[in-house]
Amino acid sequence: MDPLTLLLADSRFPSGSYAHSLGLEQAVNDGLRDVPAFIRARQRHVAHADARFAVEASRGHVFEQEWYMRTPSPALRDAARRTGSQLLRSASAIWDLPVTKTPRPLALGIVAGAAGIADEDTALLALYDDAATVASAALKLLPLDPAVTARWLADLAPDMARAAARIAADDGPLPAPAAVAIELNAPIHLEQRERLFAS
Amino acid sequence: MPAERALRIGVGGPVGSGKSSLIAALCGALAEEIKLGVVTNDIYTTEDAEFLRSTGVLPVERITAVQTGGCPHTAIRDDISANLEAVEELEEATGPLDLVFVESGGDNLTAIFSPALADVQIFVIDVAGGDDIPRKGGPGIARADLLVINKTDLAPYVGSDVSKMVREASERRGDLPVAATSLRTDGPHQVADWVRTQLAAFRAHGHLHSSMEGVPDHHHDHVH
Repeated sequence: MDPLTLLLADSRFPSGSYAHSLGLEQAVNDGLRDVPAFIRARQRHVAHADARFAVEASRGHVFEQEWYMRTPSPALRDAARRTGSQLLRSASAIWDLPVTKTPRPLALGIVAGAAGIADEDTALLALYDDAATVASAALKLLPLDPAVTARWLADLAPDMARAAARIAADDGPLPAPAAVAIELNAPIHLEQRERLFAS
Repeated sequence: MPAERALRIGVGGPVGSGKSSLIAALCGALAEEIKLGVVTNDIYTTEDAEFLRSTGVLPVERITAVQTGGCPHTAIRDDISANLEAVEELEEATGPLDLVFVESGGDNLTAIFSPALADVQIFVIDVAGGDDIPRKGGPGIARADLLVINKTDLAPYVGSDVSKMVREASERRGDLPVAATSLRTDGPHQVADWVRTQLAAFRAHGHLHSSMEGVPDHHHDHVH
């Protein structure tokens, strides 16, 4: 495996994602307790499409408008632009990349392209980025054993590997899933006074 | 070489030691001579930013907040991207600014600022937190560019020995300055003078050598 893939997957690589729960905080406010189900829902309805956009971006096809069309919530767009530019900021210290307000999955693809990471690993990075960000946020929102949240990610591994292989080989139209509850809850989350996470 | 951006001063220290009050007092003391901005790092959303805005010491648009996802250490040391972005956006929107204070989310004794975020840093503790804190140490107490021991007026009421705190802090800090003060009774003048000195040096040289770097006698390619 390419060590650069490990570098980009490592939460110690500074990219701002520790301040985001990707909708989990508001879902927990609303009573959600089954976090693995939330992670799987995000994989299906958000991360699979994001991974495809990341692979395309890594090949030089940065479909920003198409990504925005699939992300109607201004709050989610803004959060993705922030974590995207924060990722690019750190990556620009390694590769010759401009720091732009590019949504996270596209920024991840751009960085993966600069790092020369294979398509399947790029897709995997996008899928894992999403799942691990939610799992890590869960530790601060619910009373949980950190070994248990690690187990969630391990349980997801076969699905992520299969999805990454499929997404890397996909040359069909860009997918257009919908995560309506996450979109609708994002602005409500921003209005909460006692809020740990930026999204 | 003159600096092309604002001087960035980090203000860290435990919860309740008086970081926000210090920044508010400094803004009050310095706002007429220095164009200031503030970035806060709150536990929950924008509490500290709202406190500062409510004091009226600065135009509200020059105070901004970043969310730390419950990781105040990370936001100022390990992954400073959100803070750097906030400082740059503040300067773009309201600048040019002379000085930006970056206030850490109240935390324990080990939280320090990355030198890539803060040119110099102030660590604020107070007598009510216990007079053994300087002895316990930590990077902020040992090496912050300025250590403020706040609320000295409360010392008799909480059984703290201010002179012992200053002595034990100085034993750790060598020549680095310690300011024992009560913001409530003395005001921020002692700290404000230190800030003026830092800003003058920053303007003269274009950068500062923080004591946090821990290499005070490294080689220069220029004359100070």
